[in-house]
Amino acid sequence: MTTDYINICLADDDEDDRLFFTDAFDELKINTKVTTFNDGVELMDYLNDEDSVLPNVLFLDLNMPKKNGVECLLEIKKNEKLNDIAIAIYSTSSSEEHIEETFINGANIYIKKPNDFENLKKILSEVVTINWQYHTSGLNKENFLMRM
Amino acid sequence: MKHIQLHKSPLFLKIIFVISVAIIFFIGGITFKHITVLKKSSAYVSNSYEVNIELERLLSCIKDAETGQRGYLLTRDKKFLRPYHNSGALIKKSYQRISELTANSRTQQSNLKKLQYHINRRLNYLSKNLYLIEQKNYKIKTLDSNFVTGQKAMDSIRYRIQSMIITQKILLKNRQKDYESTMNYTPLLIYLTLIITLILITIAFVKMNRDLILLKNTIDTLTIAIEANKLSEIVGNFGSWQLDIETFKYSFSDNEYRLLGCEPQSFEASKEEYFKFIHPDDLESVKESVKNVSINNAFIPITYRIIRKDGEVRYFKDKGQIVSFSSDKKTFIGTTRDITSEINDRITTEERNRELESNNKELSAFNYIASHDLQEPLRKIETFISRLVSKDYDNLSSSGQQYISSIQKSTNRMRVLIEDLLQFSRTNKMEKTFEEVDLNTLLENAKQELAQIIEDKKAKIENSALPILKVIPFQMQQLLINLIGNSLKYSSQDRTPIIKIDYSKVIANEEELLPETHHKYHRIIIKDNGIGFDQEYAKNIFVLFNRLHNKNEYQGTGIGLAICKKIVENHKGFIFAKGIVDKGSDFIIYLPAE
Repeated sequence: MTTDYINICLADDDEDDRLFFTDAFDELKINTKVTTFNDGVELMDYLNDEDSVLPNVLFLDLNMPKKNGVECLLEIKKNEKLNDIAIAIYSTSSSEEHIEETFINGANIYIKKPNDFENLKKILSEVVTINWQYHTSGLNKENFLMRM
Repeated sequence: MKHIQLHKSPLFLKIIFVISVAIIFFIGGITFKHITVLKKSSAYVSNSYEVNIELERLLSCIKDAETGQRGYLLTRDKKFLRPYHNSGALIKKSYQRISELTANSRTQQSNLKKLQYHINRRLNYLSKNLYLIEQKNYKIKTLDSNFVTGQKAMDSIRYRIQSMIITQKILLKNRQKDYESTMNYTPLLIYLTLIITLILITIAFVKMNRDLILLKNTIDTLTIAIEANKLSEIVGNFGSWQLDIETFKYSFSDNEYRLLGCEPQSFEASKEEYFKFIHPDDLESVKESVKNVSINNAFIPITYRIIRKDGEVRYFKDKGQIVSFSSDKKTFIGTTRDITSEINDRITTEERNRELESNNKELSAFNYIASHDLQEPLRKIETFISRLVSKDYDNLSSSGQQYISSIQKSTNRMRVLIEDLLQFSRTNKMEKTFEEVDLNTLLENAKQELAQIIEDKKAKIENSALPILKVIPFQMQQLLINLIGNSLKYSSQDRTPIIKIDYSKVIANEEELLPETHHKYHRIIIKDNGIGFDQEYAKNIFVLFNRLHNKNEYQGTGIGLAICKKIVENHKGFIFAKGIVDKGSDFIIYLPAE
């Protein structure tokens, strides 16, 4: 992308979480453009739209109505146009099943939603500044789950 | 063995019978022959005596004739001549009789001819004497010479008769010798054959007796087997039936009737009668199966329902097969088993399984709620409080600030509780794949996980070399984390926490805590110098939510050690705790080595 800001998308059905997410980026001094979606269907409609600007990093909540995070992940990875987008799973759960399933299906990182706002800011800034090419080449199950 | 003996014995007995009959015939033949010989020889003896008597009589006749003539010669009385006149006929008669009696002996016949010659000569001389005397002028000299020659003839007669008597005696003796020689062997022969017969009959008797005992034993065994079978049918809740393949006649055991709720043998055994009890819905398939018996000589096991006499519906299962017994007789035997209770049990088990499954589903739904839904509001509360603290903390009154920190503590504790609870239920649910893992690696991972606390407490962890074991890796790691974490949590503030991890391989009966078996175990001891605990509570500490300390003194949910116990149990092992207050505690894990 030749834009001078990082394009970020978040799909999360929880209003508070969307608020924390945008607030965190507002407070961070990184040049980002954040777009949020209320569920998987909205997200996929946007991504499949020819005119849309594709995000650099896509944050996916798992538990969403209509279309959940895993379904979105599968669809994106199947689509050649979309499968370069770096995908960060952004979920309350840190259960082994979820981590395993998303890892196998090609997500790039797994973030357990932190319970502290400062932590959230730290994690987001780190994720956004990751060199994805480098990260993905050395990706394994151990470093897939983001630890602070 | 017994069967074979019984099979062979009729042939053996037949052979003995034939031999015995032959011997008795033989003995009979010999006896008959000998009696005939005896009869002959006794006839011969009497014959001999008769010959002798007749010879004596002949001699006396001649003597009479001679005496009579002498008397006449002396007295010239004619009455003395009567014996002389009579003697001719008597002599002839005697002579003929002797000739008859000695017809068998050539010697005697020739002797007899010679005797006849001498008798005729004597009689000639006698008649010559008479003739001479009746001549008035007879010469004394001629008469004298006539007397002398007559006397000589008489001597020859005596001699002949004597020799004939002797010959007869010799003949008799020879005959008797022959007879004796044959008769000598006869008793021995008869005796021997009798003894042989007796032996054979005794053998046959012994054999028959033995067969009889065998037969009796077999009958006894059979009777017991029949009774045992009847009893086992009652106890095992099954009956049996038989079908004669040639006559197509059925017979049912007593218990078969009882299974149908009827008195034993209360109706005639036939398929028509039996079909009356079968549930109408199952009748067709049973008929099909029975038809198969007569066509293919095979019976496919079949389960069907019957309606008992009292109206109760029961499930029966039938099995059957052809058996051939004695030479080529064949019959079809089958058993009927009442499997109602089994079917009921199965239905109950299935119901329980379904219940359990739905319970499990509910539990995993609960897990999900705990892991996701319950955490979410909590996390938000925490995040909002963190924002409140960072943004507006200074604007709050001092009591407000106090409340905020209390809320933070409570939410924190709640999160720990939820996470521990989740961990506990996951220990149950997670797939249990055993892998060969180096426990040293797992220990290193555990140490890394606890790195922060270890550093904070300045704790020392020492360990002996740990083995490579087949375990569920993440569970075993969790076990180490929880136990080491526990030791760190309950460390004494007075001294540097030292945690020692010791491994050795042991045999169960050498360990006081393990049952008396010869099984081998891996023993891992985690020993600390912390605050310890009263041995009285050793078992309680593994119980879920059980805590020995007030939560204000030591943070904890009472779940960690319960998880440990569950993990060890997943590995079919044992975990024990030993504590001394203010000295430290030992956690001992035994994992089976085979």
